[in-house]
Amino acid sequence: MEQSTSETPQKTFTCQLCGLVSPYSYYGQKPPNTRAIVLLEECFVTKDPFTPDKEKFLVLGSTCSLCSLCVCVGSDCSLFYTKRFCMKCVNKHLDQFPHQVQAELAKKKQSSRAAIS
Amino acid sequence: MDSDRRRDSRSWDWDSPQCRAQLDEIFFRQHDYIQAGSPEHKEFWAFFDRFQRFKTKKDMSGSGGARRKEDKEEGKDRGKTGKVDLGLPKEYDARYRINVSVCTRDIEERLGKSEHRSRQRSSGPGTQEISDCRLALLHFLDFSQRQSFGKLAKLRQEQKNLPIFQYRDRIVELVRSHPVVVVAGDTGCGKSTQVPQYLLSAGFNHIACTQPRRIACISLAKRVSFESLNQYGSKVGYQIRFETTRTPATKLLFLTEGLLLRQIQQDGTLSQYQVVIVDEVHERHLHCDFLLGVLRSLVAERPDLRLILMSATINIKLFSDYFSSAPVLQVPGRLFPIQVIYQPIPPEEQPSRSEKLDPRPYLRILQGIDQRYPPEERGDLLLFLSGVAEISTIQEACQIYATHTRRWIVLPLHSTLSSGPVFDIAPPGVRKCIISTNIAETSVTIDGVRFVVDSGKVKEMSFDPKAKMQRLQEFWISRASSEQRKGRAGRTGPGVCYRLYAESDYDAFAPYPVPEIHRVALDSLILQMKSMCLGDPLSFVFIDPPPAASIQTAVTYLKEQGALDNAGELTSIGRLLAQLPVDVVIGKMLVLGSLFNLVEPVLTVSAALSVQSPFLRSSQHNPDCATARQPLHSNQGDPFTLLSTFNAWVEVKGERGGGSRKWCRRRGLEEQRLYEMVNLRRQFKDLLRSHGLLESEHSAPSDGDRGQRRERLTERRKLHQLKRDHEQQEGSRRKVLRLAEGQDEELSSGSDTEEKGRGKKDKEGSEQNMDIQDVKFKLRHNVSKLQEAVSVSQDLSSRQQALLKLLLCRGLYPQLALPDEHNSTRKDSEQVFHTKNKQGVVIHPTSVFASDPEVLHVPEDDSREMGPDRQDSSRHQLLAFVTLLETNKPYLSNCVRVPALQALLLVANSVDSNADCTRLVVDGWLELELREPEEALKVLSTALTLRAEWERLLLAQLGQSTVGGPAGQGVSRRVMEKLSDGLVRFVLYTEVSYSLRRLTAFQTQNLYIGPQSESELSHSKAPDLNPLFPGAEVKPHPIKGGLRVTSFFTYNCLADSKDLYSECLRTFWSCPNCDLYMPLTPLERMQHEASCRPAGEQQQLEEGGKAGSSSVSSLTRVYHCDVCNEDLTLTPTEILKHKRQHMYSTK
Ligand SMILES: [Zn+2]
Ligand SMILES: [Zn+2]
Repeated sequence: MEQSTSETPQKTFTCQLCGLVSPYSYYGQKPPNTRAIVLLEECFVTKDPFTPDKEKFLVLGSTCSLCSLCVCVGSDCSLFYTKRFCMKCVNKHLDQFPHQVQAELAKKKQSSRAAIS
Repeated sequence: MDSDRRRDSRSWDWDSPQCRAQLDEIFFRQHDYIQAGSPEHKEFWAFFDRFQRFKTKKDMSGSGGARRKEDKEEGKDRGKTGKVDLGLPKEYDARYRINVSVCTRDIEERLGKSEHRSRQRSSGPGTQEISDCRLALLHFLDFSQRQSFGKLAKLRQEQKNLPIFQYRDRIVELVRSHPVVVVAGDTGCGKSTQVPQYLLSAGFNHIACTQPRRIACISLAKRVSFESLNQYGSKVGYQIRFETTRTPATKLLFLTEGLLLRQIQQDGTLSQYQVVIVDEVHERHLHCDFLLGVLRSLVAERPDLRLILMSATINIKLFSDYFSSAPVLQVPGRLFPIQVIYQPIPPEEQPSRSEKLDPRPYLRILQGIDQRYPPEERGDLLLFLSGVAEISTIQEACQIYATHTRRWIVLPLHSTLSSGPVFDIAPPGVRKCIISTNIAETSVTIDGVRFVVDSGKVKEMSFDPKAKMQRLQEFWISRASSEQRKGRAGRTGPGVCYRLYAESDYDAFAPYPVPEIHRVALDSLILQMKSMCLGDPLSFVFIDPPPAASIQTAVTYLKEQGALDNAGELTSIGRLLAQLPVDVVIGKMLVLGSLFNLVEPVLTVSAALSVQSPFLRSSQHNPDCATARQPLHSNQGDPFTLLSTFNAWVEVKGERGGGSRKWCRRRGLEEQRLYEMVNLRRQFKDLLRSHGLLESEHSAPSDGDRGQRRERLTERRKLHQLKRDHEQQEGSRRKVLRLAEGQDEELSSGSDTEEKGRGKKDKEGSEQNMDIQDVKFKLRHNVSKLQEAVSVSQDLSSRQQALLKLLLCRGLYPQLALPDEHNSTRKDSEQVFHTKNKQGVVIHPTSVFASDPEVLHVPEDDSREMGPDRQDSSRHQLLAFVTLLETNKPYLSNCVRVPALQALLLVANSVDSNADCTRLVVDGWLELELREPEEALKVLSTALTLRAEWERLLLAQLGQSTVGGPAGQGVSRRVMEKLSDGLVRFVLYTEVSYSLRRLTAFQTQNLYIGPQSESELSHSKAPDLNPLFPGAEVKPHPIKGGLRVTSFFTYNCLADSKDLYSECLRTFWSCPNCDLYMPLTPLERMQHEASCRPAGEQQQLEEGGKAGSSSVSSLTRVYHCDVCNEDLTLTPTEILKHKRQHMYSTK
């Protein structure tokens, strides 16, 4: 797996909401060198560039479980709650999410609005 | 909840290390993602504690009730909407927000089995503990992911915000469609980091990006590699003088301009690159201007090559026009408004030429800022001064003010300082006051500057070809520089720029700075051009051609140095010198050193003379330092002091490792310079080896046995780990300055360390004390081998010392200075010297001769007053020096003393004599008068013989090296030792009394008799005027008159000379080697001596002569005897003997 990825370095992940672009080295639920760790969704994964000497992974994003949009894990673009949901779908089905999530999103919306005005 | 669990398993204690260790067994085993003992593992447990506390708090605040209520609502809502059911769990759990799981069932089961029976007694973790720990781990992993992703998102945002980002596609498009593109944008627009990345992601490969400074190559490679998330891994690298991270996989290489030029020297079409980016072209460095010229013709040759010039928005048209109107992409800067305040310095505070700078205008600005701007409003101050001395004057004054007000941290910044502290942050309410040279104008960027103070001055190096002297002078800056300085205030917010000159001054400034090519000596440039076969330097198309006189001066100098022949072509030594990335004089030393058995000390001295002095000027007046330094001093000269300092340092390195830092501090030594020396020394050694001038190291036996090798390997692994740890720490560390900063001598160790994020302050101290320089040193050099090499040069015998001096002197020639004749009656501080082109120079205070000038005086017991201006002695000395630099005075630095007569006869390019050789004029400016004609002849003829042999061996050595064969074979050891023995004997034991003085201007005008008429010359056409040296013809000198005996020696050309063959010059003389006894003129005698060798020597010549040009057979020549009327093939001695026969027979 690693062999093939290093030969094709041009695989890039692009968030279809915010446009974040980054190369990725693995797609799936079991990134290399993670031992007991398993991802609960198929993810675009890269080597964590912020710990250059260690084999740590970094999840960049995955596809929305509803609309299959490719989204990054940034809180402006997606949310994970047992499954990945893009922000569009979250907003569409906001009522089905637990109160905690709703409150959190409302709060975030408020603060970002405050920052704009 | 916590207390509940405690009741369940009474013996379980989360705080106990044993309990945690048991969980480590499950979650953090050796091959797990996080391993016990690693930094992340420590971080996890710290996180665990916080997580538990958070949970407890949440439980107590009764969030349980809310949960129940919300569940109800959820159910209700779902009933109402008839939309897609997302199938979400009814009860909220933060766990559902995490997309990671950890499977440890296998171990748990294994542990469970073995521990099941002993469960009651054991205090092992129960299922509850395991799941608590697992939950915490999941949250920890999620937290880490969020943190790293946050950094990534921020990084991408920053890249997007760069002004150049909008031009991304346009740049790629331009490069695709044009061979040459100019990208202009001011610092901070992101061109240096982004353009290479745009090209990489557009699919370009093999990109070279040049930088004027080495440090920029390293930091850019690191930054770009980081920004591209190490996606390219080793594909982004750098290459500088001593270091490279380049691999065959490298796609983007940052390198210095000089290095790219060297690569062109090897590979004329630069086929290894597809794209060449030349960054910072506006700085107009010598190498850069030259590089542009070379690339200009290369672009025509290689249409597939893409060339990108990157520049600040200065004089862009010049570059575009030079490359036939190449397209320009101008990126607007991102500057905030800057208020300009002109505050000319009042006349009473203007410093006069010799005085120190008056700090009052600068202090007023600091005060003004303190009055006008509240300390909560952050913003640092950047102050531009012309030089290091000015910086320390103002720093001192500002420091007093800072200590008093406690609102400033004063920090100097110039090229010889590590710039670490200036990037650190000041504590709240305190501003940094960075006092800098023009280095902060374009090359070093400091964030957070709000105020700029511009003195309007800059110090620049220029070369005075008439005095053959470097000059460091203060100038007004250009308008372009002035704008650059101002711009530094508006990078992070609106700023203020105080200009300490009037607006009318500004208007009178030159528009742009003078490019380096117009200011400096062009020797190395011309040498390099010659070796690259670029034709006549005068017709090379430079972007801004240097004055023709400047090129001419360089050509003349290179001829004097023997690097170019009279036709202006490279000599064999010149070809080699062009390959060496050092000054011509240093290169010469290296080549000369390789001939004799003095390679090790010559390597050290050459390296030492190529870097800045390790002796800190600030500690010069510290008596402790002076005492500690004393044993390192050598009154032979500064190169010897440097040699012994380096040797002692290597010794310390071997003994105590990291202790060398302290050792250096105690002696007032800048250790960085010693590291540079050791690296350069290694590079020189490799260079000599690759040119076949040095045998390759016999590797296997000296490497020690297998055990030692393994030990070294383990050691290396450890060192690598230390280096990695350090690098990682560097990345995550951010320093907050202390108020006392800047008062400390040791700036780099004075900062408190603040960890970003989780604190792990303990142990920090010991790690910080780790000497990273020492680690790098040990990784790069085998200390014991280095010590071996150094020990060779540790205790030089006086003979070796004499030879080394001679080599240095020959390398440095014609950089010689004569002590003034009245120095012995002057104070130590008023000793004066003269060079050929500059009178009245002084010794730099850092030189050993500044504190010990007596060793240069003619000892009284040896001298004889021969009149008011003639002092005869056998102990006259000259100084050979490395640099003559005028700052406030013309200073000589790095001097070595040599015996005058011997050194001049062995190295000078021009020695002229009178008829009996008692009067010698060297290089047209030094006059030596010897009392005894007998002695004069003997000295001269010995010198001529030695020089001929030296030249022959040197050429043999160089000739051999170009063939590429192993060194040393061209010159047999025995022959070489005989020569060095002869040279040493000559230098040390020549006891001839003579006077030494400079010629007056009048004397130089009427120095030579000038060309002689045919009739006068009729004598000299006599065929018995054999060449002293095979192959060389003795001919009348066309300008000086007299006879040109060798390329450097002209006999009997001085105006007071007697007639060449006047009989009175003939004296009876018997040759010690053959039975010749007859009256001979001085010239005849020298000729005989040159060809008549002792019997034993003659044989040697026959053996060893095959390789060289002077075999015995070549000594014979056809001689036509008028008396016999016959052509005879004879050696010069035989000719003399033959003539003698006729002489006696006629009598
Ligand atoms: Zn996104
Ligand atoms: Zn969606």
